[in-house]
Amino acid sequence: MMNEPATRRWPQRAWPLALWAALLLLALLQIVRTPFTADLSAFLPASPDARQRLLIEQIHSGLPSRTLLMGISGGDGAARADASRALARALRDSGRFEQVNNGDAAGWAGFGQWLVDHRYALSPAVNAEHFSADGLRQAIAESLSLLGTPAGNAIKPLLDRDPSGEMQRIAESMIPAQSPRSVDGVWASRPKEGQPERALLMATIRAIGADIDAQAAAIAGVRQAFAPLAARGLTLQISGAPVFSVDSRSRIESEVRWLAIVGGLMMATLLLLAFASVAALAVAALPVVTGVVTGIAAVALGFGSVHGMTLGFGSALIGESVDYAIYYLIQARRDEQGRGGWRHWLLESWPTVRLGLLTSVCGFGALVFSGFPGLAQLGVFSVAGLIGAALATRFVLPALMPDGARGRGLRAPLGRLARAALRGLPRLRLPVLLLGLVAAVLLWQRGDLWRADLASLSPVPRAAIALDEALRADLTSSDSGTLVVVQGADVQTTLQRAEAAAERLEALIEQGRIGGFDSVTRFVPSLATQERRRASLPDTVTLKAALQQATAGGPLPAERLAPFLADVAQARQAAPLTPADLQGSAVAPLIDALLLRRADGSASALLPLQPLPGKDIDSAAVQQALQGLPEVQLLGIGQELGALYQRYLGQAQQQALLGAAGVVLLMALWLRSGRRLLAVCQPLVLAVLLSLGALAALGLQLGILHLVGLLLVVAVGSNYALFFDMLREAGLGDEGRRDDSSDDTLASLLLANLTTVASFGLLAFSSIPVLSAIGVVVAPGALLALVLAATFAPRAKTALPL
Amino acid sequence: MLVMCVALASSDPVRAQTFDLATLMQRMAQRKSGQARFTEERIVSGIDSPLTASGVLSYAAPDRFTRQTLQPTQETMAVQGRTLLLKRSGRTRQMDMDTVPELAALLDALRATLTGDSALLHRHFTVSLSGNDAQWTLRLLPADERLARQVQQIELVGQGADLRSIELRLTGGDRSLMLIEPLSPLAPAS
Repeated sequence: MMNEPATRRWPQRAWPLALWAALLLLALLQIVRTPFTADLSAFLPASPDARQRLLIEQIHSGLPSRTLLMGISGGDGAARADASRALARALRDSGRFEQVNNGDAAGWAGFGQWLVDHRYALSPAVNAEHFSADGLRQAIAESLSLLGTPAGNAIKPLLDRDPSGEMQRIAESMIPAQSPRSVDGVWASRPKEGQPERALLMATIRAIGADIDAQAAAIAGVRQAFAPLAARGLTLQISGAPVFSVDSRSRIESEVRWLAIVGGLMMATLLLLAFASVAALAVAALPVVTGVVTGIAAVALGFGSVHGMTLGFGSALIGESVDYAIYYLIQARRDEQGRGGWRHWLLESWPTVRLGLLTSVCGFGALVFSGFPGLAQLGVFSVAGLIGAALATRFVLPALMPDGARGRGLRAPLGRLARAALRGLPRLRLPVLLLGLVAAVLLWQRGDLWRADLASLSPVPRAAIALDEALRADLTSSDSGTLVVVQGADVQTTLQRAEAAAERLEALIEQGRIGGFDSVTRFVPSLATQERRRASLPDTVTLKAALQQATAGGPLPAERLAPFLADVAQARQAAPLTPADLQGSAVAPLIDALLLRRADGSASALLPLQPLPGKDIDSAAVQQALQGLPEVQLLGIGQELGALYQRYLGQAQQQALLGAAGVVLLMALWLRSGRRLLAVCQPLVLAVLLSLGALAALGLQLGILHLVGLLLVVAVGSNYALFFDMLREAGLGDEGRRDDSSDDTLASLLLANLTTVASFGLLAFSSIPVLSAIGVVVAPGALLALVLAATFAPRAKTALPL
Repeated sequence: MLVMCVALASSDPVRAQTFDLATLMQRMAQRKSGQARFTEERIVSGIDSPLTASGVLSYAAPDRFTRQTLQPTQETMAVQGRTLLLKRSGRTRQMDMDTVPELAALLDALRATLTGDSALLHRHFTVSLSGNDAQWTLRLLPADERLARQVQQIELVGQGADLRSIELRLTGGDRSLMLIEPLSPLAPAS
């Protein structure tokens, strides 16, 4: 295959190859067994505190993560209403949904009957006084006050069974302060300029939010069920968290595919241009493949699953790891005098490559400790990948191509170009320094540089978010994103605490501070409360006497009310309601949404607050009202997410500084010269300053990922600076070969930089914000780092022939 | 003040014109606020004796309306814009009228009459007017099928710019009649 020194025989060459093949196989086995994910979990903290755990539970399995919002537009109001009913029926029949709601009362028939059956356990009015003669007289008067109005039609059929109005009290407590508009008996959007009128539906998928396959199947089911309605000229729009996660996954999948294909093609083209040899191309691909496989396997081992985003980042790793192959293939080349070869490379260049590897590992390594799992995965992937690629270069490439790549391709012109640039660039030192100064001042004055929020990490496109907001505004305008969370070691403790909190919240409604709230205790009161209510129900004789007295002279004769006596007598004997007993009943979806039960028996009750129309929740007032209640917290989801992001950002800033410090420390240890260290650091600092300045000048909102990008600029850029340092040292030490060898080193540097810029540039065009943000910073930053390293490359005293 | 306004209104040249809906609406629109006492009698099938209630009404243009029942039990229903506030036995609940279109239609009928908004009136009802300025009757028949399932008709009777009674007939045969006695600071009703 190639021209081989006699000192190196096959058995010697075979063992690193065999070991490499075996390790690669093991890594592949590990990858095959590992699931790939694309959900939002990568954006949530790995070690959450108690509040964050609630947040995560909500995002993973809470009702919002499983709820689809749907809008039907086109046709007239009646056609939309018919379609809404037909679609709701089809969805209910499919069995995929826990709850399908379109505002049609028919969907609640079972629930209404359930409430009637358990009204004495559920009604907040039930107490001993309520069933005294006075209490009954007052309650009957209230019930009668609605008769003769349209609202009375609803209570008239129940009057004989429920003259004391328990159903009214229950219904009253459930009136939402704001709910969707009703048109033709189903939910409809509020008329708004520039928006089509829509019938609205809401459906809760049975499967948990993390089960994206099930979510995808449910969404496909909705579209299928709508198909016959679409034929009538109606249009269906679907939104909600399940749509976002399903779409994100498919977007990430297709993105990973094209990034891999385009990235691979770009590398191949560059390598072919540089070496004009297919064999060299094949050999150069080995460290890349090794790196990617090692990286994925390491993530699989460390995290149990691999996020699609991490794979997308793989294309950047391709660009980085191919550098090692380029350095080797060019620098190990034998010159006309027969000097060079792999042994020479190991002595001359490997230490610098190794140092470059270590600095890169230092940079990426900072990410490994990120509390943000998405970044930690990228860190592990890159560190393992780079080490794998470097080791493959060090041990496998010498075995396969001991004399580097022979073809010269375009390397000579590349080298000449680099040399010419190197000669001219130092003239730019002063302007660059001034520019750096300007950037520093600009950055100093801009206090609000880091403005991006958690949403900037989300792969959901803006148009989808806008549709979601429009549907949500019409549908669940009562959703303020603020909830009271009550915790307890067991379900009953939680329910009792929730009742205490609900009592305080009722007072806030009376004071006009909040519009309303939901609570699981409306459907399942604590056993203690149910027992108290049951105990206050009088026996039939007592009740009959009180009823006689209460109805005397009134319009409702006591004789009619025998069904009431029977129902109360029955309620006195009824078994109490518990969440466990209600599994599978009409009320189960509501309980599941508002009460989270954990495997260890503990539970959290969620009490979502509704604002008054046109107002925000007064958090301070709520906070104050809840003062002193044990295990009760107010959770503003938007604020919590904001705080979470700020925490990530703070952490990431520290880690980036640590990573950068690590890079500098490593270089200091290696160079052992303050002057050389300074020369190496100068272009790096300027590259960071200028990149940051450019981003600020462009008005980009900077976030964690841009910070990560800057760290990578330092990690990658340090390699270039070190090579210039090496060139200078070599220029001093090895007069005779400097032309040829330094030309090739320059060519390899330029080529390595081109691959890096190309691969990160590719990421910049990704539609996944995490990847594009990194690409946008690193691609120009790396180029800048090379140019600046050349600009500030110290001249050797005996002078490289520049 | 109110009486003076009414007096001015009654000497208005519009009186000379033929009495039609536009005239009435224009007349009603000039009234910006009002207070009244009401008594209500409801005849409900299955309940032998009529149900009665009484209390106070108040209105302020363009979209505030309050019905405060004092007898037999205290309760308040207040409309402000599209929001309905219900107060019973010390409990307050707020709701959006548009979530219950039948209720919204009834309240709109009242509001449209009081503010002289004939477009709003025609949105939900077929309107017919009879009588003259001194004694008019506005009959509203639900135009919407869903509302017609609940409400048979509404009949509003007035004298000049004063609304004097509202009769509501439900499809089941139940009906209610509210008699309205305008109150004014200058001439408190006895």
